[in-house]
Amino acid sequence: MSITRRRLLRFSAAAGLTPFTSSFVQAADWGAIETEAKGQEVYFNAWAGADTINAYIAWAAEQVKARYGVTLDHVKITDTAEVVKRVRDEVAAGKIDGSVDLVWINGENFRALKTEKLLFGPFAESLPNFAYVDVRGKPTTLQDFSESVDGMESPWGMAQFTFFGDGAKFLSPPKSMIELAAFAKANPGRVTFPAPPDFHGTTFLKQALVEATADKGIFAKPIDASAFAEVAKPWLAFLDDIRPSLWREGTQYPKSQSEITQMVADGELLIGLSFNPNEPANLVAAGTLPKTTIAWQHAGGTIGNSHFVAIPTNAKAKAGAQVIANFLLSAEAQARKNDLKIWGDPTVLDVTKLSGEDAKQFATLPAPGSVIFSGPALLEPHASFVALIESTWLENYGKG
Amino acid sequence: MDKILTPSPRGWVPTFVGMTIKKNEVALGLPLILFFALPLSASIFFALGGLFDITGWTAFLSHPQLWPALQLALFTGLISTGISLFVGLLIVSGLYQTEWWPRLSTQVGSMLAVPHLALAVGVSFLIMPSGFIARAIAVFAGWAVPPNWVTTHDPYGVALVTCLVIKETPFLIWILASVLNHEDVQRDLAGQRAVALSLGHNMTSIWLRVFLPQILPKLLWPVFVVFTYAVTVVDMALVIGPTQPPTLAIIVWTDINDAEVLNNARGGVGAIFLSLAIALAALFVWSIGKMLAARRKWLTVGPSFKTRPRLYLAPILILKFFAIYALAIATLVLLSFAPLWPFPQLWPQTLNATAWLRVWSNPSALITSLALAFATTAPGLTLIVAWMESQPKAHDKIVLVLSATALGLPAILVSLGQYRAFLHMGLTGTVAGLFLAHLIPVTTYMFIVLAGPYRSFDPRWRSSASGLLASFPRFLWSIKMPLLKAPLLAASAIGFAVSFSQYVPAQLISAGRYSTLPMEAVTLTSGTNRPLTAAFTLLLMVPPLLAFVAAAYFGRSRWRAA
Repeated sequence: MSITRRRLLRFSAAAGLTPFTSSFVQAADWGAIETEAKGQEVYFNAWAGADTINAYIAWAAEQVKARYGVTLDHVKITDTAEVVKRVRDEVAAGKIDGSVDLVWINGENFRALKTEKLLFGPFAESLPNFAYVDVRGKPTTLQDFSESVDGMESPWGMAQFTFFGDGAKFLSPPKSMIELAAFAKANPGRVTFPAPPDFHGTTFLKQALVEATADKGIFAKPIDASAFAEVAKPWLAFLDDIRPSLWREGTQYPKSQSEITQMVADGELLIGLSFNPNEPANLVAAGTLPKTTIAWQHAGGTIGNSHFVAIPTNAKAKAGAQVIANFLLSAEAQARKNDLKIWGDPTVLDVTKLSGEDAKQFATLPAPGSVIFSGPALLEPHASFVALIESTWLENYGKG
Repeated sequence: MDKILTPSPRGWVPTFVGMTIKKNEVALGLPLILFFALPLSASIFFALGGLFDITGWTAFLSHPQLWPALQLALFTGLISTGISLFVGLLIVSGLYQTEWWPRLSTQVGSMLAVPHLALAVGVSFLIMPSGFIARAIAVFAGWAVPPNWVTTHDPYGVALVTCLVIKETPFLIWILASVLNHEDVQRDLAGQRAVALSLGHNMTSIWLRVFLPQILPKLLWPVFVVFTYAVTVVDMALVIGPTQPPTLAIIVWTDINDAEVLNNARGGVGAIFLSLAIALAALFVWSIGKMLAARRKWLTVGPSFKTRPRLYLAPILILKFFAIYALAIATLVLLSFAPLWPFPQLWPQTLNATAWLRVWSNPSALITSLALAFATTAPGLTLIVAWMESQPKAHDKIVLVLSATALGLPAILVSLGQYRAFLHMGLTGTVAGLFLAHLIPVTTYMFIVLAGPYRSFDPRWRSSASGLLASFPRFLWSIKMPLLKAPLLAASAIGFAVSFSQYVPAQLISAGRYSTLPMEAVTLTSGTNRPLTAAFTLLLMVPPLLAFVAAAYFGRSRWRAA
């Protein structure tokens, strides 16, 4: 289900958009790493809000134990920011044998750990299975939001902003923000988004900003407050237009994406949102959403990104953590993760690079709730936009 | 030799107690200092690290939602505490010394075991636009879609206040019961009532003029805890409270949870600011109360309420409370079996036990939680009794202020402070650390609950026992403990429940090495799975419920007042 509910992805301060650099790190002797890893215990800190994901991690634990003699302990967390603070505090206190060996991460949490030099690496590009990663077709595997990855985290899965609803209740879903506003006017009180700084809410606002702006080139560069005030005008006009038709006339907002999903299931709202295109299908399979559920993306594209695993600088079992990161990138592990019945998290691999046998495992049949209308993946706007988007929204709509 | 003036309502003579235990004073008071006061002080010290963070203060004071959010927080906190106290006193005054009383004082504790979150989820499913009440109307009105009601998440926090009152009133009744069931108090009040009745006062007048002035001071700390809790509550406010702006506690909580150091600093400052606001508001209300109490005229003039009081009000009120709890729990039970239940169906489309199977698949977390709850309540109680028997009452102030500070600061901040303190002591990821992380909050609550009843123990019992040549341990075991068993058991039940519900501090200290039931529950329910949330909240409720029922049963009075 939604990997993104970990609030992994929100970021705020400015970070320069580093040009595409694929750093060729001196490949360490992989055999030596595997030997060292044998017998190590790896504490993998990962969001644990979905049974499907937990079951998948449990499967991975069985595999690495049997194949490499590495013990994987899933440390179940609700918010990856917890782990960032834990690593920061441990290093500050001089704790060398840290409590975190591997962490599921991206976005602002990655940027925080990377800029504060709290990560081990670069290691990702020397993992044997990294060769199959689709770095060209999926540029977000090298560019995590606007932070260059530089081999400090290993890609694990893909995400793209997706909408969903009960197809039995409306004929055609809105395929742009303009159409969404018309839909909301026709169905007052049945559409909303979580209030920022919830990161799904921030992403909704980013998506609206990207769609409302004619010159998309500005999103690749840093922006200051005065330039943003100018850029924001059509966006604010859109928000003013849609606001009275939102749930509670846009004066109150649900706290999270999962609350919205529940309200869609109950029938109080018509449209839900997710960062995992397969989450709606997964929720149909789990019986949370009706079988008539449909999912879609906007015709002009929606914001997409990747999620990763990283190793803190004070990790105790660095070799074991690398062995697990490599296993998670294997065709077998990626195909299983891609399977709608298992988890449904899209792969980071380039399936054409794989052998026919391996590639076949990735073929999935559409299921109730899967995406019926897809758009291209758009890059996240530059990090400097986020704080401005959030503060401008709060200033205009956050005071009740 | 200390002269201790007994706080007896009849103003008795100074007596000489503490004589035999003086030599042990230091030794007996030390464990509480060592295992409770010191680690707690360290936690608060680390938590307050942001006090002089100028950038944090600048960022916090320029937060656009600061003032409306503060207003909301104080408004919901004061109103809910006020209503809870009023309703609690109304119920108790109507039922005390009636045939209802023994049952009330045994059964009210069961309501305490219901976690805030469970109640909020249950109540919100009753009142929300796609909830049970709306569905019941929809059947007759023919609604196909939920109405556009503003029930949950209302901008003024009315739903939040309602939920807080439902949750906090039983707590205050429970505290009142443990004060009133105290054998000494019962005897004294019975005597005073007889005198007042013969002077022509009816029960209402007796309560206002005779009982309340004696009882209210004992409620000071519990009421403060209720107020603090109401202002800093996060889980309940997230489920049912206003969102734009939210209460200040939510803003602080969001900031402290953030990965950015700057936002953490803003949250840290916000937490300190919120605590100061709580202290100031409490001080303000308390001084008004003092002022009113000083003008004692209203105590002596005016009618003695010759008219018959409305005796039926209190039973109806308390039955309403039980009914709401029963409804909320029944709703939770139903939700735990219902993966999909769209509006306007009155009964879920499908029912299955998937959530319960998931809950039972890992019993080790439940066992760890139970073991910790037992393992911390007993030593916590021992620490407190050792302290009470060895230290003069004046020393309590230090512990009480420390406890109140810890409870007054948002839990997440104190937890982070504790985590940093433990990190420096090498206690993170250890059993000892996990044990202490549970012992500290358990002792905090138990001390606050016990301090009043324990210190108002009539010292003449000791004199009589000494007169009969009973040794001090004998006196403690055969006289004092049995007489104090109601408050001791009440405190134990609260300690047990507090231990059983620890999440944030335990999660931080355990570093993923140990898993307790709340840890499992919170992480697994952070996704979209209402049946699982419902099942876990129900499971989290059962052991504390049993503890409260047991405490009430074994603590019931053997001497029924006339």
